[in-house]
Amino acid sequence: MSEEQKQAQAPAPAAPREGGDVAPAAASAPSAPSAPSGQGGQGAPRREGGHSGGGRREGGPGGGRREGGPGGPGGGPGGPGGPRRGKRQYFRKKKVCKFCVEKMDFIDYKRADILSQFVQERGKILPRRMTGVCSRHQRWLGVAIKRARNIALLPFAGSAAGTQAPRAVVTEAPKA
Amino acid sequence: MEERLYDLVFIVRPATPEEEIKKVLASIEHACADRGAKIEKAETWGTRKLAYKVMKHREGIYFYQQVRTTHGELVHELERRLGVQDSVIKYQTVRLDEDLKRQKKLVHKREQRAARRPRRTPPPPPPQPAAEQNSPAS
Repeated sequence: MSEEQKQAQAPAPAAPREGGDVAPAAASAPSAPSAPSGQGGQGAPRREGGHSGGGRREGGPGGGRREGGPGGPGGGPGGPGGPRRGKRQYFRKKKVCKFCVEKMDFIDYKRADILSQFVQERGKILPRRMTGVCSRHQRWLGVAIKRARNIALLPFAGSAAGTQAPRAVVTEAPKA
Repeated sequence: MEERLYDLVFIVRPATPEEEIKKVLASIEHACADRGAKIEKAETWGTRKLAYKVMKHREGIYFYQQVRTTHGELVHELERRLGVQDSVIKYQTVRLDEDLKRQKKLVHKREQRAARRPRRTPPPPPPQPAAEQNSPAS
């Protein structure tokens, strides 16, 4: 008698198959009638995990993120959803800052041959995520490139015509 | 005022006669000498292709000088002189001492760290033997 009453109170989709023993669980998840059977209680956290994993996955391979292996902190393996759903197809070697490796503490605007490695063909400054330059050096690099542009060592726009010529230096004796 | 170091780069038209170039250089030297500034470096980079057209020229002769001075107005004076010269098509003055100071600081920091590092790695071996000696003794 009491079981029949419970079944009658329980939502329609959950009622027919489970019988009395699962009815409390069904009662806990009446707002999600689409969830099959009494696993609704367990299903909810799993779905959340799936959501977060899915979100990371969308962030991962999308657009510029892919190019920036080292730059993006999201590059780490996706949380609980990671191993199950998202296969990481792109493994990039971590880029290191060239200036840090060479221990350059000062980026000279006169070295157009170095600076030209960090501009695009059309003269744009390359983003850090492409080149792997650390933030401090990227700041100095930006300044140096702009100075070089000002004195026609690098182009503002258009092909870098002047950069390939090596610098011919004729040093004169310093005069007092 | 403290001493400051400036980079001065200027570009001269490619077909400038020698005398004209000499005149420009002399005028710079004169201006520097007037204010007690010292030209630390003087280089000629020769004829270079310009990255873009400047006054319809695709090439130019580059000159580079490093000036140390205590008078900030010298920069204005140098730029004024270069601007007046017809043969000079472009010039730029950059203050350098702050960057060099920063560089020096960083180099110093790195040296200190490098000096400290070897000291940090040896310590682990000594404690282990010491611990071994202690344990048999006790």
